[in-house]
Amino acid sequence: MNESGHHPAPLSPVERRVAALEALLTERELVPEGFIEEITRRYESEIGPLNGAKVVARAWVDPGYKERLLTDGTAAIAELGFGGPEGDHMVVVENTSAVHNVIVCTLCSCYPWPVLGLPPSWYKDPPYRARMVREPRTLLAEMGCPLPGDVEIRVWDSSAEVRYLVLPQRPAGTAGMTEAELTGLVTRDSMIGVARL
Amino acid sequence: MSTPLSLSDLDLPRRNGELVFDAPWQSTVFGLAAAVIDNAFGGDREPFRQQLVKAIAAEPGRPYWESWTAALEALAETLPERPVP
Repeated sequence: MNESGHHPAPLSPVERRVAALEALLTERELVPEGFIEEITRRYESEIGPLNGAKVVARAWVDPGYKERLLTDGTAAIAELGFGGPEGDHMVVVENTSAVHNVIVCTLCSCYPWPVLGLPPSWYKDPPYRARMVREPRTLLAEMGCPLPGDVEIRVWDSSAEVRYLVLPQRPAGTAGMTEAELTGLVTRDSMIGVARL
Repeated sequence: MSTPLSLSDLDLPRRNGELVFDAPWQSTVFGLAAAVIDNAFGGDREPFRQQLVKAIAAEPGRPYWESWTAALEALAETLPERPVP
């Protein structure tokens, strides 16, 4: 933006629009001082896929927790201290050797913020939103997640009030690992359903 | 968030993540929407979501945070003149 280093770059059209919105909404007393900085800090440092990884690892080691998670995702996730915007109606869907789940929001970008943070850019882009419904097997293969033909793919469209989270299968050979070690194995993409572990 | 994080925690699944915001205006417009949802709509996200759906449908190829900006502009149009006390 400011390659010369001598002069601040002029604001782009969208930057001007955001500045106008900020001025308007601040004038309406809707933006408390420090609010934007605080929420940005939280989403950049506190709220992210690590939260979801903790949920998944707990479910792997604690059958009772797993049952609660699959029965009432919102409450079970709240047990670990996670909740808030976009997490009011959480439904957790379990991958098995016969069923693979994947989440999408066809209309906009609904995503389980409390457990995954804000969505990655490809999740918000038209090709993912359209193709994951139309040709999930092909798209998953292109994204590096080829599935055997006998595995059923279930696509969960988050366009209602519900936000989905995929519970990936626990990888083989992890029987001796601690919950903390297991947490480190869980990737964001596996909880969206575009990767397997 | 009530669960404390250790440094080693932060090092783990984040590695597969990506930057949440590419530019300061994106985090600003994200925060502005959150502020309006909290302070003008009592935490109800649905009015904003409906505007975002419309904004994305209107220009599917538009960059995401620009659609978000358009949605917030449309939502701001619906606000009463004065904040509800």
